[in-house]
Amino acid sequence: MNRRHFLSKLGWTSFWTAVVGMVAGLARSMYPNVLYEPSRKYKVGYPADFARDVVTPLPGEKLFIYNDSKQGFYAISGICTHLGCVVSKTQEGFFCPCHGSRFDHSGKVKAGPAPRPLPWYRVSLALDGQLVVDAGEEVKPGTTLPI
Amino acid sequence: MGNRKSHGMMQEFWRNARALPGNVWRSTIRHGPLDTDLDRAEVMNQNFFLHILPVSVHRNTLRFSYSLGLGAIAFILFLILIGTGIILMFYYVPAVDQAYPRMKDLEFVVSNGKLLRNLHRWAAHGMVAVVFLHMCRVFYTGSFRPPREFNWVVGVVLFFLTLGLSFTGYLLPWDQLAFWAITVGTNIVAYLPGVGKQLRFLLLGGNEVGQEALIRFYVLHIAILPVLALIVLGVHFWRIRKDGGLSRPEEAESPLVSMTATPASRDPAGGSLQIFPADPRKTYGLMELVKGRTPMVDRGPEDTLTAWPHLVFRLFTLSLLTLVIFLIVSLFFDAPLKELANPNFPENPAKAPWYFLGLQELVSYSAFMGGVFIPTLTVVALMLIPYIDRGPAGTGVWFHSRRARKIALLSAILTTAVIWLLLFANMRTGGVRRFYPDSPQWLIDLLNPGTLTVLYLVVFFFIAGYLTDSLREASIGLFTGFLIGFTLFTVIGVFLRGPNWEFYWFWQSWPAP
Repeated sequence: MNRRHFLSKLGWTSFWTAVVGMVAGLARSMYPNVLYEPSRKYKVGYPADFARDVVTPLPGEKLFIYNDSKQGFYAISGICTHLGCVVSKTQEGFFCPCHGSRFDHSGKVKAGPAPRPLPWYRVSLALDGQLVVDAGEEVKPGTTLPI
Repeated sequence: MGNRKSHGMMQEFWRNARALPGNVWRSTIRHGPLDTDLDRAEVMNQNFFLHILPVSVHRNTLRFSYSLGLGAIAFILFLILIGTGIILMFYYVPAVDQAYPRMKDLEFVVSNGKLLRNLHRWAAHGMVAVVFLHMCRVFYTGSFRPPREFNWVVGVVLFFLTLGLSFTGYLLPWDQLAFWAITVGTNIVAYLPGVGKQLRFLLLGGNEVGQEALIRFYVLHIAILPVLALIVLGVHFWRIRKDGGLSRPEEAESPLVSMTATPASRDPAGGSLQIFPADPRKTYGLMELVKGRTPMVDRGPEDTLTAWPHLVFRLFTLSLLTLVIFLIVSLFFDAPLKELANPNFPENPAKAPWYFLGLQELVSYSAFMGGVFIPTLTVVALMLIPYIDRGPAGTGVWFHSRRARKIALLSAILTTAVIWLLLFANMRTGGVRRFYPDSPQWLIDLLNPGTLTVLYLVVFFFIAGYLTDSLREASIGLFTGFLIGFTLFTVIGVFLRGPNWEFYWFWQSWPAP
């Protein structure tokens, strides 16, 4: 490599480095740092508001709250793990109308294309005594809040 | 002295003023009637808009039965979309609380607003269909052969840009279709291994489908994708010129020789043409340099015609016809608009526009296979076609050979049979989970009608290739299978899927909700 080729390579390398750096900077600004989204942590009411051994659907939060007389409280997500449609409650468990995925009462996949069971979310008690469901925190199925 | 100067100035002023209309006309139009081939050649070079076309085109290029005008129609539809789209932008506001009422305004308040929206939507549907058919035309006439490999790849990119424009477009009304299409579409993106989740976050501008997502898809739809499409389209057209115009059969095999040769110009020995008949009015010049194995040094001029008027006339007629047809459709059929987006309840069934329903059918078996793997495989396979199938035989001829036609027909029948078989097997048994409830996800992904159809196509390709010992015929079989599969899955998605994505025949009515 003679001096001319070396300088030419150096020039082109600087040029493309500058371009790539510039584009990367622009792309980074497309990745939001602040989200103007509502919190996924919901206060859903007092434990006494939930009837025993009945599943209470919360359509706005896309959650199903269970008050099991033996195990306590737990919350199952109402968003299908396949492609994000909203599931509905059936006799056998849950059903997604978009592509026909079926889940049992614990959220386990019974049929259809859903790749994962419906997640269970962390249920806790707030200081004022209300139940809090954190839809940002998945817990192992079977984890309940005994009352 | 001073007097004479101003006198001359005034004279010149009046002279120029009198000549003004003529001079303006001559400087704008720059020519009279185009009576000679020289005039017709010159106008193609002088006019910015005509300069995209060559001075002269091969007769084969003008044969409607060869090109079917599909590429031109796709471009005309693109122009209609730009025109209507710009006017729609004056009324549309990309905000979740405004977008839907603005659609209603277009429908009921804005003069001709409904027509504009209809035209925009139907032209978009038309463009997807026509671009796809254009791809089929180019494939079946072997027009992707060297030196046109690169332009085929550019065309595949344009096809996916068209799909991207459609997808980002039908999200904008913020109706039920829009909301659930973004939800499902971006969730498919999330299945991409490695970067899926981040890409979904980037597309939505957050974790949830809302205002940020709408504005992102809006900017993609009105700025990024159209500009990209225009640039790639420019490359596509540029390559057509540089690769020597539309493909055509090898000159020796061309039936055009006998077609164009008048008895007077035919050599009595048979076949060969008298190249330069004595005709003082014709002038030949070097019009452009093109790549290719057979520069038509001695036969070219006789098989070509001036683009003005032959090509230009055809293009304008095609434009008018396309516009009229789409106007009529838009006058009688309204573009769909569902209810306002409701994040709590998807429609049942929630269906995308027809061109994505084949994909939706595949996704209903397995999101990863139908949404990521099979589409990626398809794109790669499409782009590789011209680098695998390179032989010169059959270029510029529909279907290459009689046997290739038979293979295409066989492939069509077999693919149809295989898909129905797999579909009914899947319905009868309810898929893998019916036998094996705790089956791992990879088994579900692997054993479903979508994946098995792809497997069948690959097997068909190699068996057909082995039996015919012809790469071209095998790839015609494979492409036909892909085409039929795509069409069939689309038909199933559009017509045969009802509530809960369950199967209903045409004559079966859906249960009441």
